[in-house]
Amino acid sequence: MITVSHLKKNFGELIAVDDLSLEINQGEILGFLGPNGAGKTTTIRMLCGLLEKDGGDISWDTTQNLSEAMGVCTQENIFWPRLTCLEQLIFMGQMHKMSRIAAKSRSLEILDVLGLASKKDTLASKLSGGMKRRLNIALALVHDPPVLILDEPEAGLDPQSRILVRDLIQSLARKKTVILTTHNMDEAERLADRIAIIDKGKLLEVGSVEDLKQSLGTGDFLEMRFRDNLESMFQNEDSAAWQLKQSLESTPELSAARINFSGDKLTIRSTQALEKLSLVTDAVGTVDLEILDIQLRKTTLEDVFIHLTGRALRE
Amino acid sequence: MIFSIFTKSIKEQLRNFWILILTVLMAPFFVFVYFLINESSQPHYDILVLNLDQGMQQGGTQLTLGDSIVPALKDHIVSMENAPLDIKSTPSRERAVHDLETRKAEALLVLPAEFTQSIMGPDPVAAEVEIVGDLTSTGYLISAVWLGALVENYLADISQKAPLYSVKETALGHSDQVDEFELFIPGMLILSIIMLMFSATVAIITEVDQGTILRLKLSGMKAWQFLIGVGATQVIVGILAILLTLATAASLGFEMRGSLGSFFLIAILTSISMIAFSLILAAMTRSVTDVLVVGNFPLFLFMFFTGAAFPISASPWFHVGNYGVSWQSLMSPSAAISALNKISIMGMALGDVWGELLVLAIVTVAYFLLGLWSFNKRHLQTN
Repeated sequence: MITVSHLKKNFGELIAVDDLSLEINQGEILGFLGPNGAGKTTTIRMLCGLLEKDGGDISWDTTQNLSEAMGVCTQENIFWPRLTCLEQLIFMGQMHKMSRIAAKSRSLEILDVLGLASKKDTLASKLSGGMKRRLNIALALVHDPPVLILDEPEAGLDPQSRILVRDLIQSLARKKTVILTTHNMDEAERLADRIAIIDKGKLLEVGSVEDLKQSLGTGDFLEMRFRDNLESMFQNEDSAAWQLKQSLESTPELSAARINFSGDKLTIRSTQALEKLSLVTDAVGTVDLEILDIQLRKTTLEDVFIHLTGRALRE
Repeated sequence: MIFSIFTKSIKEQLRNFWILILTVLMAPFFVFVYFLINESSQPHYDILVLNLDQGMQQGGTQLTLGDSIVPALKDHIVSMENAPLDIKSTPSRERAVHDLETRKAEALLVLPAEFTQSIMGPDPVAAEVEIVGDLTSTGYLISAVWLGALVENYLADISQKAPLYSVKETALGHSDQVDEFELFIPGMLILSIIMLMFSATVAIITEVDQGTILRLKLSGMKAWQFLIGVGATQVIVGILAILLTLATAASLGFEMRGSLGSFFLIAILTSISMIAFSLILAAMTRSVTDVLVVGNFPLFLFMFFTGAAFPISASPWFHVGNYGVSWQSLMSPSAAISALNKISIMGMALGDVWGELLVLAIVTVAYFLLGLWSFNKRHLQTN
């Protein structure tokens, strides 16, 4: 188990990581989510030993040096363009104190798993974008690290490669501790045993996907998309959007529902959302608005994420 | 681990073709350029003689020394090995002045009408000869000196008087066998190693530029392991570059007069020094493009102020052995060039250049310490 206690990091006035405490269980896949600038990369760099912490502690329950026990697949593809795929995997294995024979055998195995066996003697600079990404993952795996950090592993991959990488990550479950950072909620939801959501350097929530969804309360989402931008109409109290808002908020059956207007979208979160649909369409019928699309869906991880981190754009 | 870094570095160096070519071919190219400059600018001085001598009657025959002076001076030139002079008669002063003005000749010797009379007459007096030329021209100054000596020898011959003195010239080391082209070669040999600055810095900074330094840091690699691995490759490139430069120079007439062992020792020490300097340069840059821009400043300093391209020698502050330490010594190639000059031109032994070797070693250590500290601070620190 990796234990992170009261981790802190400042860059001048900016508090990048603020008293972050987290336990990462051995063999679990932890999704590490957060908006841009939330402090994910800073936390991971401290975990790897690439950045000194200003406070707190990182420990794990073996004698092995944590940073040397990690395999890191960075967000950017980092490899040696003038070495072939096999050459650089063997080199990286040797740098992690593997013998040349063991490093070669492991490299060939990883290349095969990642569909790069036929490219083993190709210079890395000559690979396609998706292949470079897979090579980047291979470089993180070659020394068979017990802890694997995958930073946006599916970024830039075509659908076939994405499935291959996803299968690989799933196959690592229980064998390795995987920390997966991603903006792709679907990816996190499919792969992660637990999700940690971080923003402004603070850990906001951590738990299984189901636990996080439950934290939003029960109910489903009813979403309607309109031809007009409703949000921009709220400045005028005579507008159709304003009248619709008033009408919905005064409907007794919707008093417990969460009603949100965003852009051209109206979202209502409520128990038995399907039964509320006729009430809403009736209310829309009384004002001059045209519905383009209606969706009824379950709570997603993205809903949790937006609920916790807000909608404001990040720099 | 060091061997893995070394083999990886060798592969990358061989595949980074253009940087390798730039490093190993720059100095041989300069050697060839110096050879061409030297070949096309061999000094040669044309001297004109205007004979106005009227001669005199001696024993019923006409004696005119002026008529025989040109062949006599030519004979003297032949007896002086390698004298780059040519003596020609000129029909008139106007024609001669025109030739001087158009640089077809460097000096004009005018023999007066009473030349023979002054020397051979019953009452000999000093013959007043005139030398005409552009006094601001180095060619004229050299020609005038030669001319004075030639006329003096000629007069000693015809007057059958023994010369008052003779000069014996003793060459220092092998300097009597060395021409101007060869004097430039030690500097060129060190220039080939100065060029190592680019390939060594590129080899180091590429890891930063492409982000792979992160992977190396995660592997637990130490900075010194990385530097030894990369440095060993660069020493090989340096040796290759200096051998290629030496081969080019030898094919164009350069002869190495000192021991090859001493030569290689200096080459290896200078290569290590340049690798150490490359660390400083790598600390100042972030990308290969930066290296190719920023690297030109130390290249200019090392090329033009150490004596690599031009023989510049500053006043020494103090001496270490026979080596005068000056501000130039802060640039390690300076001591290396001085040592190589003494070994390859003067044929001196390694013991004669211990001052240079000591200064070279001290400056190299200083480069390493500064480079390691600044590179660590800029690219390897974790805060």
